[in-house]
Amino acid sequence: MSDYLTTLRELREKALRGGGPKRIEQQHERGKLTARERLALLLDEGSFQEFGALATHNITDFGMADQRYPGDGIVTGLGKINGRRVAVFAQDFTVMGGSFSEVQSHKICRIQDLALESGIPLLGLNDSGGARIQEGVRSLAGYGEVFQRNVLASGVVPQISVMLGPCAGGAVYSPALTDFVIMARDTSFMFLTGPEVIKAVTGEDVNVANLGGPLIHNCRSGVAHFLAANEQAAISMAKLLLSYLPQNNTEDPPQVAPYDPADRMEESLNSVVPASENEPYDMHLVIDAVFDRDSFLEVHSCYAPNAVVGFARLDGHAVGIVANQPAHMAGALDIDASDKISRFIRICDAYSIPLITFVDCPGFLPGVDQEYHGVIRHGAKIIYAYTEATVPKISIVTRKAMGGSYVAMSSKQMRNDLAYAWPTAQIAVMGAEGAVRILYRQELSKAEDPAATERKYIQEYREMFFNPFRAADLGQIDEVIEPRETRPRLIRALEVLRTKVQQNPTKKHGLMPV
Amino acid sequence: MTLAERLMTGLNITILGMGLVFVLLALLWALLTAMLRLDRQPTREPDGGVVPGRPGARRPVKLAPELLSAITVAVFTHQAVLRKQAAPAMRSYWPGSILFASRWVTSGRHQQTQSWNPRGR
Repeated sequence: MSDYLTTLRELREKALRGGGPKRIEQQHERGKLTARERLALLLDEGSFQEFGALATHNITDFGMADQRYPGDGIVTGLGKINGRRVAVFAQDFTVMGGSFSEVQSHKICRIQDLALESGIPLLGLNDSGGARIQEGVRSLAGYGEVFQRNVLASGVVPQISVMLGPCAGGAVYSPALTDFVIMARDTSFMFLTGPEVIKAVTGEDVNVANLGGPLIHNCRSGVAHFLAANEQAAISMAKLLLSYLPQNNTEDPPQVAPYDPADRMEESLNSVVPASENEPYDMHLVIDAVFDRDSFLEVHSCYAPNAVVGFARLDGHAVGIVANQPAHMAGALDIDASDKISRFIRICDAYSIPLITFVDCPGFLPGVDQEYHGVIRHGAKIIYAYTEATVPKISIVTRKAMGGSYVAMSSKQMRNDLAYAWPTAQIAVMGAEGAVRILYRQELSKAEDPAATERKYIQEYREMFFNPFRAADLGQIDEVIEPRETRPRLIRALEVLRTKVQQNPTKKHGLMPV
Repeated sequence: MTLAERLMTGLNITILGMGLVFVLLALLWALLTAMLRLDRQPTREPDGGVVPGRPGARRPVKLAPELLSAITVAVFTHQAVLRKQAAPAMRSYWPGSILFASRWVTSGRHQQTQSWNPRGR
């Protein structure tokens, strides 16, 4: 018996050492932590239960028989984050560069199955050089197994990918299929084909950072949702993000004991919208004043800044926020903003998080480039996502709600539950100048002083439509409220809507214009 | 003994008696003052501030204002992090708690997700 125990202890000890002291030192020199150090930061102390610590590959080609490490370059198991159960895997770069093997795939799949069956979130700490070439198609098949489970778990349990090192080739699809991607600055990158291949195929000269670095994926491609200053910040970000999400799609996110008065009315909101309609203002000021202090977690903060999406808390309850940002492109919707908004709506809907929409949008961005790249199709995603969503939906028109964007941004017809408007709201089919030129074309052409006549008609049009009262009169706006009343109004409304249940027609799945 | 002598003797006895009393009072005052001064002197705390004879009781430790400020900021920051991460101490109830689950919502969510049927289960 003691021999068995000795063997077990030796194997466990070997598993804990990963790729050995030299590799661990190299990892530290790169400014990176080992898989186990990362898990120690992520999980509650003493909560980690490891599975598959002794699993190794059985490949003998290319001298692989001599390179057998218990765990095979990945640490998997169950643990707790702030007392909540989670399933985790962490790729170990010190073991053969964290290369993705058949055994890795089995271990990840095991954890994915456990997470899905137990209804608990899955977190992956990615740091891998790619597929293990020595294993050939085995590792490729392994990718497929992981992708399949990513898709099945999508919208059932939260899946978060924390990118802490390289992720190249087919491996990128697993994080891309998860709900959120967090990238650590300086140490992580993701791309399908590397700079050398791109140079050979297209002749384009690009380095790793400019091809698939954290800034590119956070600000240009939109593949990543959060940018963290370093590994520790990325892990903290994952813990913070998890606090806004439920354990699975049948539960609610944790409610934090209310710490900000529910009846707080922020006087600054009454003057946040400038008197001049073309003057921008920062929608973040509105969000900060309305929601629980310091609770806003912005998603995709760098990508498509003409729209703002993120999580916050209202009276301790998690909510999703969608807003136009008048400080960027006047808040107009373009292709990227449409993708950003529609994806976020679907995430909130999947995890039963109520949606609050702040509307200040002059419309969809005009332009040949936008039309050629399918702004119609992308814009339609917003309509699709809002209409399909069955969570409580409340909208507040702060200023402009023009044309198609009024309809798309959580209007009554998008199965919105409550539509509020501030007195500064302007709800119209189009801007005053354009509308007058169409409506009064003949009158303007015959007028003695066309400029003065146009000004008169513009003034009339503004008085008629550039306020929320006509829309309220027609029932398209439920209530016109003082801006400072927004917080208490939202809290009271959500108190009622929290038990909202709405169903969609039975179908295999809809056909979102992806 | 003449009247004058008698009066002088009385005066002497009075002066001696009263003098003795005042001298003793002065000595007592000096003793008490010395004891008070001795009592006010700071004492060393080789036992880490533990009050002798009172297990678990500690004397209040005086901290520099800068250190006190730093500790206060650290405590509040830690609390803010815990709140942001919805740590157990900051939650109203445990996620998935039956106590707060509504049958209406539970049934509704079941109906919303009923099309999901894992293969072979």
